Amino acid sequence: MEPILTVSHLQKYYGGRGNVTRAIDDISLEVLPGEFVGIMGASGSGKTTLLNCVSTIDSPTAGQIVIDGREITRLNGKQLSRFRRERLGFIFQDCNLLDTLTAFENIALALTIRRTPVGKIEGRVRETARLLEIEDCLNKYPYQMSGGQCQRTAAARAIITNPALILADEPTGALDSKSARLLLDRFEALNREREATILMVTHDAFTASYCHRILFIKDGRQFTELVRGNKSRKDFFGEIIEVVTLLGGDSGDVL
Amino acid sequence: MFFKLARKNVTRSMRDYAIYFITLLFGVCVFYVFNSLENQWVMELLAEQNSDYVRAILQLTDVVSVFVSVVLAGLILYANTFLLRRRKRELGTYLLLGMGQKTIAVLLFAETMFIGLLALVFGLGLGFFLAQFLSAFTASLFQMTVDEFHFVFSWRGVGKTVLYFSVIFLAVIICNCVLVARQKLIRLLQAQRQNEQIRLRSVAASAVMFVLGVVLLAVAYGLLLKRGLLTIDRIFWLMLALGTAGTLLFFRSLSGFLLRICQSRKRLYYQNLNMFVLRQFNAKINTNYLSMTVVCLLLLLAIGITACSVGVNSTVEGNVERTAPLDMTLRLDDDYFVFAREDLPDALEEAGFDPENWLGDFAVVCRYAVKLDEPIPLAEDGRELNDAYIMSLSDFNALTALRGEKPLVLAPNTCGMAEGTEPESYGKPEREAWQDGALFSIGGHVYAPDPKVYHTGALYTSEIDLSDVIILPDEAMETVQKETIWLRQYYLAGDYAEGVDQEHAEELLWNVWDETLFDQVEERGSDPDGSSAFGLSLSTKQFIYLDTMGTKILVLFIGLYLGTIFLITSAAVLALQMLSQAADNVGRYRILRKLGVEEKMRDRSIDIQVFLYFFLPLLLAVVHSIVGIKAANDVIAEIGKLDAVASSTVTALIILVVYGAYFLATCWGSRRMVRER
Repeated sequence: MEPILTVSHLQKYYGGRGNVTRAIDDISLEVLPGEFVGIMGASGSGKTTLLNCVSTIDSPTAGQIVIDGREITRLNGKQLSRFRRERLGFIFQDCNLLDTLTAFENIALALTIRRTPVGKIEGRVRETARLLEIEDCLNKYPYQMSGGQCQRTAAARAIITNPALILADEPTGALDSKSARLLLDRFEALNREREATILMVTHDAFTASYCHRILFIKDGRQFTELVRGNKSRKDFFGEIIEVVTLLGGDSGDVL
Repeated sequence: MFFKLARKNVTRSMRDYAIYFITLLFGVCVFYVFNSLENQWVMELLAEQNSDYVRAILQLTDVVSVFVSVVLAGLILYANTFLLRRRKRELGTYLLLGMGQKTIAVLLFAETMFIGLLALVFGLGLGFFLAQFLSAFTASLFQMTVDEFHFVFSWRGVGKTVLYFSVIFLAVIICNCVLVARQKLIRLLQAQRQNEQIRLRSVAASAVMFVLGVVLLAVAYGLLLKRGLLTIDRIFWLMLALGTAGTLLFFRSLSGFLLRICQSRKRLYYQNLNMFVLRQFNAKINTNYLSMTVVCLLLLLAIGITACSVGVNSTVEGNVERTAPLDMTLRLDDDYFVFAREDLPDALEEAGFDPENWLGDFAVVCRYAVKLDEPIPLAEDGRELNDAYIMSLSDFNALTALRGEKPLVLAPNTCGMAEGTEPESYGKPEREAWQDGALFSIGGHVYAPDPKVYHTGALYTSEIDLSDVIILPDEAMETVQKETIWLRQYYLAGDYAEGVDQEHAEELLWNVWDETLFDQVEERGSDPDGSSAFGLSLSTKQFIYLDTMGTKILVLFIGLYLGTIFLITSAAVLALQMLSQAADNVGRYRILRKLGVEEKMRDRSIDIQVFLYFFLPLLLAVVHSIVGIKAANDVIAEIGKLDAVASSTVTALIILVVYGAYFLATCWGSRRMVRER
């Protein structure tokens, strides 16, 4: 199977002239269609920089990123916007909904900026909302919804365009455990039913345990990789904790 | 070092300072233009001919300047506080680094000085050119041929501008010091985190409010059109209140109403960022509707004043043609019948102005005011016509012949009518009676109106409005009883002879009138009771021309001055509000960028929002002023009609330049503010 995301020998340096910070120092990875991949690492390990590079918000110093057959490091500003709009879906830690728009409109916005025919918008929004179980709050404004509902609305916004790759940056970071579990259940459902490819950055071991495969990053380099295979989530969680301990991140980062 | 930091601060935050700078620039520029009038060549030219008006213009601009400087001071202070609010975090950082509050005050002082000096220099430069333009424009109004066009730099204007603005800057500096001294460090540093609470209101309520607002406006319009502009009583204030309330409700509900309409048009609503723009507009209306209302009313003032002042101008022009058909007219009041008709030219000749020499054709005619033998009842309310002005047919023909008109003929026992120039509002009993076919009984005879003998337009030149005159056959004059005559007036009217130096003739005529003519007149007629029996008055076309021009220029200058200042104020207030909101929107636009909205689309959505805020108050203000000017027209119709095309062109041009500049600066500033960070 062709990988949907190929990152090869990616480097990202900040600063210059003898004062270089190597945020990413040679990372390579591949994500296959339909995979649910997690990236873990302590603060400052470069995981968010990696995600920023993949999501075209930041540009790498060296190396290649190929998404869905396109070399994105060579795209110009306008092409990048277009690529981001059409091939990628984003979910952020703070859900980043527009507070002046209702949930429905927030989800629909992802379609209107792609100039989707008007007739299709309503149906698609409702269908996606059903999948994420937020049909009840479609007419609410973000400030009227709970954090979990906001995050699921953001998820709906991310997947409604059927992106090749969904990028999630600490999606459960601001949620309580119940909401987090609900969101992750929905992620699993998306992955299963829509065969959505998800790349998720997290430093929470429980959140990571929903993934099929986890890459650990330390000091800008790949540290190790865990594959869930047929293990139960509980066993997988245990394995993750072991690696995290080995990585020596702050204890606060574990749970 | 402070100056360096101050200069860097200003240049670095130019996008914030742009609106502030433009406001200062326009303020200085307009202020200089109108306070340098005294030294403008066109005013010097005017003063040679009619110094009264020049003095009046200068005094009035002085008074208005005080008012204007207060308005500008308020505006500049507002802009300054806005800027300071935007820079809270920066100031907090200075404090955190250990800079004292005094030092910060000095820093702000240096910044104010820097930008103030910059604005003064550029504003004076711009004002210098604009003043030349205004001079040329004024000269063209006077149809003056300009042979001594030269650039004038008015040191007095500069001095006054610098003085007034120094005071304003001083106020700004004091205000800055107070603001800085009151700030707490924690507040300054956390300023950015304080978010505005967004309250959203029901859309149905806004629809009701919208309808209510429109109804209130319609009622106010109706009252205004029906009652005219100048009946100032309780209902007038009620009308103003209704209009203001209507405007307020209109803006309060407009966004919700627009939102609802657009939502029902899905094709429009779900296109590009329209949904976002409309929601933004709606979310901010709570904070904005008040300022939009104020801006709308200020714009109304600006448009109204400018349009009316420019419009009155063009009406005055036609006035001269109407009231001054001949180059000169000399009137002699001789109520005691001591004078013969021929005596008047002779007296004039001996006084030093030979009419045969200086005037081409001229006529000496006589007009009487007589008591009618029988009062004529007027159609309504039992009023009666007791007196009438009369003139003989040959005198009338002599006057019309001066302008090459054909002589008219009157059958015996009929009378004609020469219309005067009194405005409609005076009521015209003579004309009314004449047109109704009433019989005029004078000197024991009765005269029936002959519709064929009817003359319109002034018969001779007069500063004072002329009354209607009944034209009688020549023989009728002999029958008029001396006792019934209560006014006898001789007129010597004519045009200057061709080929003579008209300016010299005019000057000579006025000199004679002022110095020697009266003596000559008294010498010729003996007064019965030892007191003077005569009245002399002179009207010349040139004098009337300059006189009306003086009024015209006075109204024009003051109107332009105030109108422009109101325009600057309203545009600046809007621009500052838009910018402060753009700062709140940074986060929202960051989300849009992450979602993959192109820069072009984001910029467009900003432009649309700014456009809505600028355009909607302007639109309503234009509608208001169309109604207002229509009502004003009825007042101005007394002296003519507003020239709609000319006045709206000039007004539109001024609005385009000032409002347009602020609009562009706001778009530019908002875009930049949202694009970064």
